[in-house]
Amino acid sequence: MTEQTRKGFHAEIDEISDLIVQLGAQASDAVARATDALLTYDLAEAQQIIDDDDHIDVAAIEVEEKCQSLLALQQPMAGDLRQILAAMWITGELERTGGLACNICKGARRMFRTELPPRLRGLIAEMNEEAIRLIRLSVDSYSEHDAALASALHDIDDRLDSLHRTFVKTLLESSRTHDLDVQPSMQLALIARYYERIGDHAVNISDRVRYMVSGVMPWRAGLARHRVRDELKAHELAADPAEMSSNSDDEAD
Amino acid sequence: MTSLIIGVLLVVGGAMVGIALDRALLRRWIRNRDPQQHHPAPKTRTPSGRRRSARHVIEDAERRLQSAEAGQLSAETAASRVEASLDALEAGLVLCDRNGRVVARNTAATQFLEARHGEALVTRVIKDLLEQARSGELVTTRVELHAEPRRSYEVRAGPVERGGEMLGAIALVHDITEHDRIESVRRDFVANVSHELKTPIGALSLLADSLAADTEPEVVARLAGRMQIEIQRVANTIDDLLTLAMLEDESGRADERVDIGAVVAAASDRISETAEQRDVKVVVSMPDDLAPIRGSRLHLESAVFNLLDNAIKFSDPGERVDVQVETGRDTLTLSVTDEGIGIPAAEQSRIFERFYRVDRARSRSTGGTGLGLAIVRHVALNHGGDVSVTSREGLGAQFTLTLPLDNGD
Repeated sequence: MTEQTRKGFHAEIDEISDLIVQLGAQASDAVARATDALLTYDLAEAQQIIDDDDHIDVAAIEVEEKCQSLLALQQPMAGDLRQILAAMWITGELERTGGLACNICKGARRMFRTELPPRLRGLIAEMNEEAIRLIRLSVDSYSEHDAALASALHDIDDRLDSLHRTFVKTLLESSRTHDLDVQPSMQLALIARYYERIGDHAVNISDRVRYMVSGVMPWRAGLARHRVRDELKAHELAADPAEMSSNSDDEAD
Repeated sequence: MTSLIIGVLLVVGGAMVGIALDRALLRRWIRNRDPQQHHPAPKTRTPSGRRRSARHVIEDAERRLQSAEAGQLSAETAASRVEASLDALEAGLVLCDRNGRVVARNTAATQFLEARHGEALVTRVIKDLLEQARSGELVTTRVELHAEPRRSYEVRAGPVERGGEMLGAIALVHDITEHDRIESVRRDFVANVSHELKTPIGALSLLADSLAADTEPEVVARLAGRMQIEIQRVANTIDDLLTLAMLEDESGRADERVDIGAVVAAASDRISETAEQRDVKVVVSMPDDLAPIRGSRLHLESAVFNLLDNAIKFSDPGERVDVQVETGRDTLTLSVTDEGIGIPAAEQSRIFERFYRVDRARSRSTGGTGLGLAIVRHVALNHGGDVSVTSREGLGAQFTLTLPLDNGD
């Protein structure tokens, strides 16, 4: 009987995994669609993408509810527990990715009728490809339980970050030479930021994958640093209470 | 000691009897299970009467086993034949039972059900449609994958019934990417060709009207000049159309040994004036000892000329166009690279179509016919080669012409 229950449990975990893969496909498709709408100045399509985001939300809620009921009914432990927790977190990241695709569409709407300079169009296309690549790699690392790939995603994301910087630089140049108004320039800067955020969400997914596979919590690095800093401070305070104020100024950098 | 021997004998004998009994049971079981029990195997009674020897029983059972296995084998052959035919289908096929559990799928469908990225969207649609089909509906949906590689699929699902009883549902997935592409080529061609021919004729008609109403020599001269430009445009379009028709008509290509170096030199010579006017520098680099190409010198020159013309048209003043020729073992590649505005990724597969324009307003001002790249592609194909493009908007484009070398056979 318990064997039977366990089998059902793992089948359900597999199903959650399939649903997350599908959610990832939905999110990356939304990003690609949003880029098309932006580059072809297609307002109707932009609106459609915003409407279709509800599908992603529904799919995300479906995964969440499955996870919740497994947690409540099966009280999983260790690897099983980590897998369900990771699934819930990853779902949130993918749902946000879909939301950022909507933000791109809204940006496209706000700067309608602005002819984009070719170089900026090229960079948008490149950021789109890079963002989708990151989402796909993060989903790969999730479904293959590949902690090594997940760890590599931080470095792979550097390329998108540098594209983002190039974009902002080119945007500033273009706004001088191409007579780009303030409104579209601002929208474009925000849109570039959305792509960069999509990459960050993919990196977050990879962090959760590392946790799922090995139990490490890369996102706790900040907490660890904070503790070390506190300890150092206490140590120095004990050694020389008079210099405490100048030390704390240094650490604020 | 004796008791031990007797004991061993008893055990061995018991085992033998047991085996014989097992065989007999097996035989009876097979007979009951065998659908062909109306044609029993020859009776195996010994001439002496009702008793059968163990050997006969065993032989009989073995024969029956064999025939049962043969039956199973033929069933397996039939099943594997069906399976192989389903796998040979280009369309993906998924079959579910009445509870929605997937019971069969062919190879083409497996790629969807196990897909990780774009195709995972198709998986979702297949499952949704099978669900609807189980309630007796016949449903069809299109799925567009927008991330590269872009694809379009059509998923159809319907109920599977026999004698009013619902057995389950079946879903079929077709890749309609190529079908869609051909459809849009056909549709756009009609629109584009009428646009290309109508625009200059409309302009001519307006200019002629104005000309008829005006007597002032200055205005007449200006209108006549404009008319000449429009006439030149129509003439160019018709020339290019004729060239294309000729290229298409050509069954066997012209068979001369062509020095590609001379071809490039001639083409860049012809374009030099335009390049100078637009302040674009054309830089040619190629090895001295180029192996010849077999084909038509005239056509190859027109292909290279068109590539150069295009590159210069979409370059800004002060930029450069690079022509590079390289030879491999069996092929020669000629690439023309510019630093111009580039081509959007979504349009790159379509620019070799006749009259296809990325940006109509701009191309009209540059005065092209919209047939240049179509001509290039035809020339390449007629020579057993191909042409491709890589581009990033704002960084320029590179067109690469690949041609097989004449290795003197």
